[in-house]
Amino acid sequence: MAHEALLQEYEARRAKALAGGGADKYAKRSAQGMWSARQRIDYLMDPGSFIESGLFGSSGVYPEQEDETQTDGKLAGFGRIDGRDVCAVINDFTVKGASTSATNSKKVGHMKRVATERGMPLVLIGESTGARLPDAMGSRGMGLLLGNDNTQFRRLREVPTAAAAFGPSFGSSTWLMCQSDFAIMHKSAIMAVSSPRLVSMALGEKVSAEELGGWRLHAETTGLIDQFADTEEEVFDQIKKFLSYMPNHHREAPADAPVPAGSGADMHKVFDILPESRTQVYDMKRVIKCMVDKDSLFEMKPRFGKSAVTALARLGGKSVGIIANNPLHRGGALDADACRKIVDFIVMCDSFNIPFVMLVDTPGFQIGTEAERAGAPGKIMNFMNAMTLVTVPHISVIVRKSYGRAYVCMGGGRHSDEVAAWPSAEVSFMSPDFATKIVHGVGHGEPGFEEALADIRKGADVWGLAAVYAAQSVIRPQDTRDYLIRMLDVYKLRMTKGVGQHLMRSWPTSY
Amino acid sequence: MARIEVKSEITGTVWQLKAKPGDKVEGGDTLIVIESMKMEIPVITEDGGTVAEILVKEKDPVSEGQVVAIIEE
Repeated sequence: MAHEALLQEYEARRAKALAGGGADKYAKRSAQGMWSARQRIDYLMDPGSFIESGLFGSSGVYPEQEDETQTDGKLAGFGRIDGRDVCAVINDFTVKGASTSATNSKKVGHMKRVATERGMPLVLIGESTGARLPDAMGSRGMGLLLGNDNTQFRRLREVPTAAAAFGPSFGSSTWLMCQSDFAIMHKSAIMAVSSPRLVSMALGEKVSAEELGGWRLHAETTGLIDQFADTEEEVFDQIKKFLSYMPNHHREAPADAPVPAGSGADMHKVFDILPESRTQVYDMKRVIKCMVDKDSLFEMKPRFGKSAVTALARLGGKSVGIIANNPLHRGGALDADACRKIVDFIVMCDSFNIPFVMLVDTPGFQIGTEAERAGAPGKIMNFMNAMTLVTVPHISVIVRKSYGRAYVCMGGGRHSDEVAAWPSAEVSFMSPDFATKIVHGVGHGEPGFEEALADIRKGADVWGLAAVYAAQSVIRPQDTRDYLIRMLDVYKLRMTKGVGQHLMRSWPTSY
Repeated sequence: MARIEVKSEITGTVWQLKAKPGDKVEGGDTLIVIESMKMEIPVITEDGGTVAEILVKEKDPVSEGQVVAIIEE
């Protein structure tokens, strides 16, 4: 064939591949306000930076389907986000519902391998009907398509991985969300083991897609996602923001950012956020917002385990994790969900060399029948275990209450590098009201109760903790930001350039 | 119109009702205050909308996870 003919064929094949599932399908999506896979790439990546890997892929099982399986339904390639190299897979739902088959599995595996070996973040944009049928049918299909790469679901937290789910996201799209460091659901997305149709056929259970695996379920009940979004733009903006706190890989520290003007300007008002009555609650997020660099707060799992706040942020331009009790919910009592959320976050911070700060105001772990049914002791010990394995700098600040085992889990004693306390701190084995009854045998309204309570309260004040050097500093609340910036600098990992030991990198995804 | 159940996060006793049916609310608003563990703990709606029902009254005992209000988006 003459060169010109070869080039003509190239152009024709390229145009066909770029046309994906065809103009009609893209038009239909567009009418529903959904972007195409290539629009998503254009928005996510720096202009002109995307180099595709596997444009000419197609069905590896049925060669006769070549024309209807452009790219085999999953776009893969390399690009840049804010100037940083990333590997990405973006599913194209117009091609066989972006279902998983032989060729596209090789593409996903290749992207994961390259990202891991060369130290680049991995971005996975899901929308999928699940395994492709009939490709995976029967023993031959299973043997050919499933399980032949034993690293496919190996999670060692070596490069930051961000995933999104749109529309139906069954099968691999759900699995990959669960295995990512940041998972965001567009509100159109459904994440589930199987579709409502199969659930209805197999179990006779009539359930809507939304009830089976909608964003609300995962944001509020399962905790399998970190964020949710109304618009396409918001999904990708959040992925970009998440990556901005992350290093490129586990063997480096995150990059510094400029400190925005006005950061810390409200610190003089921070103590006023605390109510003077200890029976009243407040929103710890207001305290955090005062403390961290302006507009740097990026919360994870905001509707799950709400008595704890987990958030990425910056202090003095440096990436930092914030783990805080939030008295606004459950009075700050830590339930099983809050424990799981905190442990997830500790593992991520430690794996990616992000120091963290703990802000403590908790009456303790949640007690009661619901807590026990949720297996609270096991979750508490996971939390405890994680705190013994942390190798990144971590500082604990006792803002108000710190009681019982939660005192230790929230960084008490030698479970943080340094403990600071506000003058409002109160620390004891249990809340003074209950301790008075148990220690002195007198309850509310009984003679001698008020005197006994005052005595117990006095014994719980901050000065006892400072006297025995269990709090290394008692600080003015308004000085907390400056204290933390300085102390995180004191404790930086000088000998390894900020890189920790990653003892939790294979911690399970959820448990 | 989506009906959203608002649940009490904690076992305790209803101390105050802060909203009534027909009220317009925003995400983050307190609907009810529960007394539990010697603290005043709010029941907060995550979603904005109109209060369709308040399912408890003052001094009622509530348990963790109990639906205490319905919001219509």
